[in-house]
Amino acid sequence: MSDLLLDNEQARKLIKTLGLPLPVPERLRRAKGPYEERPLEGKVVLVGGHSALRDTLAASLAKMGAEPVVVGDEDDAKPFRRAGEAWGRPVRVVAPGEAPEDVRVDAMVYDGTGVRGPDELKGLYEFFTPYMRKLNKGGRCVVIGRPAALAGTHAESAAAAGLEGFTRSLGKEVGANGSTANSVFVEKGAEGRLDATLRFLLSPRSAFVTCQPFNISKDAKGDEAPTTQPLEGKIVLLTGAARGIGESTARIMAAEGAHVVCLDLPRDDEPLSKVARSIGGSVLLADITDPDAPELICKELKERFGGVDIVVHNAGITRDKLLANMKPQLWDMAVDVNLGAVIRITEKMVSNGVLNDGGRVICLSSVSGIAGNRGQTNYSASKAGIVGFVQSLAPQLAARGVTVNAIAPGFIETRLTSAMPVGIREGARRLSALGQGGHPEDVGQAITFLSTPGAVGITGSVLRVCGGALVGA
Amino acid sequence: MATRKKPAASGKKTPSTSTEIPKGRRAVIIGGVRTPFVRAFSEFMLLDTIALAGVATKALLEKTQVPRSELDGIVWGGVILPTLSPNIAREVALDLKLPASVEGYTVTRACASGLQAITDAVSAIERGDADVLIAGGSDSTSNAAVALPNKAVHALAPLAFGKAKGMQDYLGVLSQLMPITDILPAMPKIAERTTGEVMGESAEKMARRNGVTRQEQDALAARSHRLAAAAVASGRFETEVIPVETSKGWVHADTIIRGDTSEEKLAKLRPVFAKDGTVTAGNATPLTDGASCILLMSEEKAEALGFTGLAAFRSWSYVGVDPTDQLLIGPAIAMPRALERAGLELNDVDLVDIHEAFAAQVLSVTKAMESKAFSEERLGRSTAVGTIDDAKFNVHGGSIAIGHPFGATGARIVTTLANELAMSDKETAVLGICAAGGLGAAAVLERV
Repeated sequence: MSDLLLDNEQARKLIKTLGLPLPVPERLRRAKGPYEERPLEGKVVLVGGHSALRDTLAASLAKMGAEPVVVGDEDDAKPFRRAGEAWGRPVRVVAPGEAPEDVRVDAMVYDGTGVRGPDELKGLYEFFTPYMRKLNKGGRCVVIGRPAALAGTHAESAAAAGLEGFTRSLGKEVGANGSTANSVFVEKGAEGRLDATLRFLLSPRSAFVTCQPFNISKDAKGDEAPTTQPLEGKIVLLTGAARGIGESTARIMAAEGAHVVCLDLPRDDEPLSKVARSIGGSVLLADITDPDAPELICKELKERFGGVDIVVHNAGITRDKLLANMKPQLWDMAVDVNLGAVIRITEKMVSNGVLNDGGRVICLSSVSGIAGNRGQTNYSASKAGIVGFVQSLAPQLAARGVTVNAIAPGFIETRLTSAMPVGIREGARRLSALGQGGHPEDVGQAITFLSTPGAVGITGSVLRVCGGALVGA
Repeated sequence: MATRKKPAASGKKTPSTSTEIPKGRRAVIIGGVRTPFVRAFSEFMLLDTIALAGVATKALLEKTQVPRSELDGIVWGGVILPTLSPNIAREVALDLKLPASVEGYTVTRACASGLQAITDAVSAIERGDADVLIAGGSDSTSNAAVALPNKAVHALAPLAFGKAKGMQDYLGVLSQLMPITDILPAMPKIAERTTGEVMGESAEKMARRNGVTRQEQDALAARSHRLAAAAVASGRFETEVIPVETSKGWVHADTIIRGDTSEEKLAKLRPVFAKDGTVTAGNATPLTDGASCILLMSEEKAEALGFTGLAAFRSWSYVGVDPTDQLLIGPAIAMPRALERAGLELNDVDLVDIHEAFAAQVLSVTKAMESKAFSEERLGRSTAVGTIDDAKFNVHGGSIAIGHPFGATGARIVTTLANELAMSDKETAVLGICAAGGLGAAAVLERV
């Protein structure tokens, strides 16, 4: 599990001293402890672009504790001055163009909601270029736009999609410094839902999320968005909770106030109980592929907790073989655990009302599922199937305030990946914007984010937690 | 899931608390005294907080001539409490040989401890729990216990409690005492337990975040000294300050006030908490020793005993803010809340007294109250709280000039305001105090 280029200080120094042509990845700064009221305390955030979201951004950033540097004139800075006065955050205004000597920034936020055509994409160039060498390590870039599909003209639609392409490339350029770049497309009328996503994307909680688009819609109902202890009072069912990503997720969700019902196979009773005990959660031993499992799980959740608020389908397996050599049972196992059981359990919960209104369903997909991988036809079929499932279910549950999303982890340092052959492992690690593998907690943070009430605007989407892996879409 | 109620939005006038109190039960301030406030480790070095409290209480009894048999109890506030006898109030009653029935208890709420003792006493009287109470506070930074680190205490415990037997045990203890820096007594400092931030650093941060300049701070400090010096010169403070006898003679007046200081002189001082900072020894309150207290009675008791009240409390408010944000901004929230409860706007009151921990903090608080944005976002008001008229503000100077023995500041301010209301034709006053831990306190007084 150890990564020489990250964990061995001597190796890092030696490579740098000798000037070896090896990119030494930047160690990622990750969040310590639960959600904070002011995750950006004292961080300098460069803000620019159009004016539609100015009030929203000003209020969000001030409450997050950020100190804004506004690119523009006094008029652009007005809402920031107002918020700054209320929360004691001095505002700096800089003219467009050349960046002042003494400015260094921790994050850059560009409001591209007013981009109406290809010409206006130049605003991105003008905003980011002077500050590309002024972004601190572990920096954050966020480009905000309107959804391309909802644009009024073809040119507007093209420009909106252009924002995403730009941001994906930007992420690849800033990745070597441990910085990320993501785009957010917010539907008109859903601006109030931007805050939670910004809190996630601008904070260390999204350390391994880069080059990704986020769509914020008004589809699902719900307007509560606590900034701290967002999962207080929520009941979570988390499958595959005994180890790895599941265990990490259980700990993070519990720290945000959730009661986590930890589910895993009966043979994992010992590690599972240990996790559940240490977070004050509950244990549920079941084989999710068992035909009785959906009924049993629902009964348990209904009787003990009156229902469930958040379901995380994390349990998954690989049964890799080249298609030519694959035995039918290997095919069946992978597809049933990763996809069949997920659908059966979720549908049961929906049909018998165990899933509460305002709930969250989060399914684990996989970057290799999306991109395809030699020897993983069964796995990829199941994990890509997850994408179809969430896209199909999400609109059906939106009226109830339930969101349905998939998380697609890229290369994550776990027991599974440490067993990979060295060559493939190194390739998987390095061929990404951040040049390193993620940690289970990175996936846990993304799952937790999508579980929060504030993430209600995101549904039917696939969030990749991949460090900007070069493979996949 | 429990739903939390949001604090009531402003604009709606709540009835003053005084109207809800049964007739005759309102607590009135009969009088107050304080010792001179002196710099720590100077004139009062040999007087600990209990001794200072005793001196002040004795002087209050003599000044008011309240029959000791009528006294129900003493409520005291302090920040640095004596480790082995933290209940200063009771110790004072015993030291002064007051009747055994004069009970006493001691409260602590950082720099708002003194005000807390007073509002506790007011509550007790208005609730019918007592008729005559002394409430006050004191602190002696000179006598703060310098503690050995727990590591040293734990290591030495076997020797102290006589359990060590052979040479080996002694060597074992010695080996635990290394390195030496781990067992040296640590100098006490005013740092937040949760953040480790020294209070001066918090003030420095607030100055920067609220755009408070060095010049504004020095101007406020100079003003504080000028007005306090005038109060001394005019004899105004003689109604409140009592002489104290020390082993080296009598101390008759405050010793920190510098009538001859000026903005120019203060501008020469170096910043203490940051290299290019703005907070200096001159625009912050110094570490101070002293005590203060007031006599409170129910109106019916005052009438029966032939006392005339100076002032009474119409409302008060205690609030908490995030200490990692702006540690000392609390009064900007507590003062509007107390005013709202009193059915008043800032402009309505005749006097405003804000504890000057740091000029930077006072100016941050006043700027916040002047801001419409702050009032909308933080208080749910549609208008700014208001601008304080300079003629009403800290009319006899504040803690920067007078000093700030933590627990004694509450009764010091209340005494000055009560006297000011009684002496002039003024009706109401509001006071605000910031305190460690992100606490804020405020109270509204009215003339009786």
